[in-house]
Amino acid sequence: MRRLLLPIAAFAVLAQQPAEESKPAPAAEQRLSGTVEFGYRVLSGVGGDFQTYRSVVNLGEGPKLFSLDASWDDPKGRLFDKLDLRMNSWGGDPYNTARFEAGRARAWRFTADYRNIQYFNFLPSFADPTIERGVLLNQRALDSYRRATDLELVALPGRRITPYAAYSRNSSRGHGITTFVLDANEFPVPHMLRDHSDNVRGGVRLEWPRWQLHLEGGGITWHIDQQVYTFAERNFGNVLQPVLGQTLFLDRGNQSLDVRGSSRFARGSFRLHPADWAELAGQFQFSQPDSKTRYAQNNSGNFVNFTLLRFYSAELVSAEARARQPHTSASFAAELRPLQRVRIVESWMTDRLHDAGAALLTDRLLAGEQLLDARTASAAERLVLNYNQQEISLMVDVARGFTLRGGHRYVWGDAETPAPLILLPGAQPKPELRRHVALAGGSLVAGRRLRVTADLEASPGDRSYFRTSLHRYQRGKVRARYQILPSLLVSANFHVLNNQNPTAGIGYDFLSRQNSLGLQWTPGGGKWISLLGEYTRYTLRSDLTWRDPATLRSELSKYRDNGHAGTGWLEVGLPGRGSVQPRIHLGGSLVAASGTRPARFYQPFGRLAVPFGRRGQWYGEWRWHALTQPFYLYEGFRNHQFVTGLRLTM
Amino acid sequence: MFRSLRTANKAHTTHTPPPQTRGLFPRGPRPVLASAAAVFLFAWTGPSGAQKPAQPGYAGSEICAACHEDLVKAFRKNPHQQAEAHGAWQGKACEACHGPGAKHAESGAATDIQNPAKLAAARSEKICLECHGSQPALRARAHGAHSRSQVSCVACHRIHGAVAELTLKAPGVVNRQCSSCHQAEWADFLRPHTHRLREGAMSCTDCHDPHGSSRPRSMQIVSANEPGCFRCHADKRGPFPFEHPPVRLEGCQACHEPHGSRNPRMLVRAEVRFLCLECHSNIGSKPALGGIPPALHDLQSPRYRNCTICHSKIHGSFVSRGLTR
Repeated sequence: MRRLLLPIAAFAVLAQQPAEESKPAPAAEQRLSGTVEFGYRVLSGVGGDFQTYRSVVNLGEGPKLFSLDASWDDPKGRLFDKLDLRMNSWGGDPYNTARFEAGRARAWRFTADYRNIQYFNFLPSFADPTIERGVLLNQRALDSYRRATDLELVALPGRRITPYAAYSRNSSRGHGITTFVLDANEFPVPHMLRDHSDNVRGGVRLEWPRWQLHLEGGGITWHIDQQVYTFAERNFGNVLQPVLGQTLFLDRGNQSLDVRGSSRFARGSFRLHPADWAELAGQFQFSQPDSKTRYAQNNSGNFVNFTLLRFYSAELVSAEARARQPHTSASFAAELRPLQRVRIVESWMTDRLHDAGAALLTDRLLAGEQLLDARTASAAERLVLNYNQQEISLMVDVARGFTLRGGHRYVWGDAETPAPLILLPGAQPKPELRRHVALAGGSLVAGRRLRVTADLEASPGDRSYFRTSLHRYQRGKVRARYQILPSLLVSANFHVLNNQNPTAGIGYDFLSRQNSLGLQWTPGGGKWISLLGEYTRYTLRSDLTWRDPATLRSELSKYRDNGHAGTGWLEVGLPGRGSVQPRIHLGGSLVAASGTRPARFYQPFGRLAVPFGRRGQWYGEWRWHALTQPFYLYEGFRNHQFVTGLRLTM
Repeated sequence: MFRSLRTANKAHTTHTPPPQTRGLFPRGPRPVLASAAAVFLFAWTGPSGAQKPAQPGYAGSEICAACHEDLVKAFRKNPHQQAEAHGAWQGKACEACHGPGAKHAESGAATDIQNPAKLAAARSEKICLECHGSQPALRARAHGAHSRSQVSCVACHRIHGAVAELTLKAPGVVNRQCSSCHQAEWADFLRPHTHRLREGAMSCTDCHDPHGSSRPRSMQIVSANEPGCFRCHADKRGPFPFEHPPVRLEGCQACHEPHGSRNPRMLVRAEVRFLCLECHSNIGSKPALGGIPPALHDLQSPRYRNCTICHSKIHGSFVSRGLTR
């Protein structure tokens, strides 16, 4: 036994390559390198709706660190030979990111990544039933921050056995507006939300010339804490008219949702290269999240219960719930090259998710101090999803740089879903998914100048889950790039998706086209002038029958989205002295869309950059943001921004 | 049949590494380590190049530097530089990718050396995978659209470019690289309601795995097999006792345009009621999931025009079957 344990213990220690055996790399000429860009932003003030500005742009005034990108290289370093730090948008901007990397080649590598993204959404037109009374109140508004931190430590990177460990934390905190939903009325109230999850994982990667194996295991815990509360004043909600002769109102209300969950997960994957003409790869993944919920609610005011047809003044609700979701996935792929110009790729995957949940709810209604009704109800639901996909592709190198591809994909699955709240006869089918898809494509590469790829797929449609799912469809994508001159590159994209579901009662007709053209012109390496431009024309048409729930009459839902989108960038070098050459940048982007929700969104900008010395540059920038929506004129904004800053190269 | 083809195909596969021990146990007989390896690695390791006899024709990086001084100088900051200092390609890092260069060094002819950027995608990829095959991202390469469309590693990773263009970790660099081909997708991010890619807070690879994924659209996977969306939208993860089936069956894009939309919340329809009712209109249209709302939902009333005013837990609820709390 000792003979076995000793080598294992010595394994990690001796895995390090002795220092004297490694040939030191030539010393870098410069250890510290990178750029830093900082400055000050001034806003002109926002014309139009400030809340919409915050929902769409949300940039503020003040001193900013726009970017920092620094590297420290020390090939002879004993502890580390490289440090990297990258930061973006610090100083009160709504999106802050930072990334730090350190390591020593073939010994260790540490990565830390941090992001803080603010999510503000208060669009007056959205979720606002009071707008016809002149009240602009988005009843689903949010002002929250989400922070994500990822840490990873890899030991012995680049060696045959590479263990690693990682930790991620994701958290959110914020507040907003939501509704306190009761029978016959809903009351907009403040909302506080907080959640975080901690993910720990570790694994090992094994690499040998003919095979590689990756094993990982880990676990997550999470906690969701949401509170709904009311202010002191009486809240009449969205229904001002009397219901059954009485006005409904909420005097006081609280909801508290406390969810704790955990999951263990494991995954393994391999790649096997048994012969020069064959490669096999596979993955297996398993997770089993489990959540436990405690919910409490109390509210007082004047309410109605439609089941009892009685008014009540207070309600106490408590609930406990639990859900478990074992989830198994696996995939396998084989790539064979039986002939010099022929490649066959066979792939298969399956994804099986079974969700089972149950809740126990106790509800007590009081009229004054008298108990009106007390109920305890339980509910259990299951959601089962079994998804499978098999695909085979044949690729033939017809000529040098020219490859044609053909294949077939079969997608099948079944599901078990909770019954709808209102079960009409024949309305709860056994949902199934069946789809045969023909695949075709090709690529043409002529040196480095021309590249064209095409992807086509089509399915005759069989069975799909939803009325808007892919059914009988054809999809095509063509991408082309052509370097006409060393200084001139043009590119083009063509996308089309045509999806039909002619089943009686559905009549879905969807057509989307998106065509783009791009140009890059940099004569003389862009010393005096360079021009970049992209233009996209897109159209979308969707027609689908639906039923008005009040009348059950069949209607046609039409959605149209036709637009032009473009970006441009012109850079002109001005006469200067030596390497000090001022440059002017002009450009911006625009979207002009018509159809169901016309909108115009302009973001032009201009910039003057003046270098000083060999490593410095001053710049001044103007930017304009403008959103106009003809159907929602109260939801537009205009804003000028001015930035002055320095960019220093280390 | 394949035995003979294997020989035929050898000319199209990559060269074998030069005869030096590779990996953890660099040199010298070490019985202890050998037995440890035997314990850990009971599986077949295959005939690695390390055991093969010397391959002629390698020149060494110093010979390369004589003509390609600028490239070799720039290469000192390249992560691949570690191949020059350690392991099987010590002193021959250039030839790890470009193949034996002695003939090219003598003749100076470009035809006497291979350039992975000009090779067919399948051959070029193979060179990279010789060393990078263990990257977890590459497991699902065969499922990926890039592999199918003959887009090789060097189409995105600029080996001799700046380090940022090789490693592709900075969001701005990643987005620039992706958008150079995926222009139409990039144009979607010009719309008012988008994920924050243009601001540099996110990159395409936060959601998509360009190396391939077993999920549709090469979507990223987190925590073993959860959709990549839950990496940031962790509060939508569940599991909910009361699920909204499309979230699991069709994914977020059943209702959202994740690249950008002119509609609030990146929805695929301008008004929420139509988005919901296009599925929840299921009379006489089986087989399809969806049911139908009760008749009290009078769409003439502003109260019922945005279903999520009441059904606020539309992604799934922990306590309410009607997704109201």
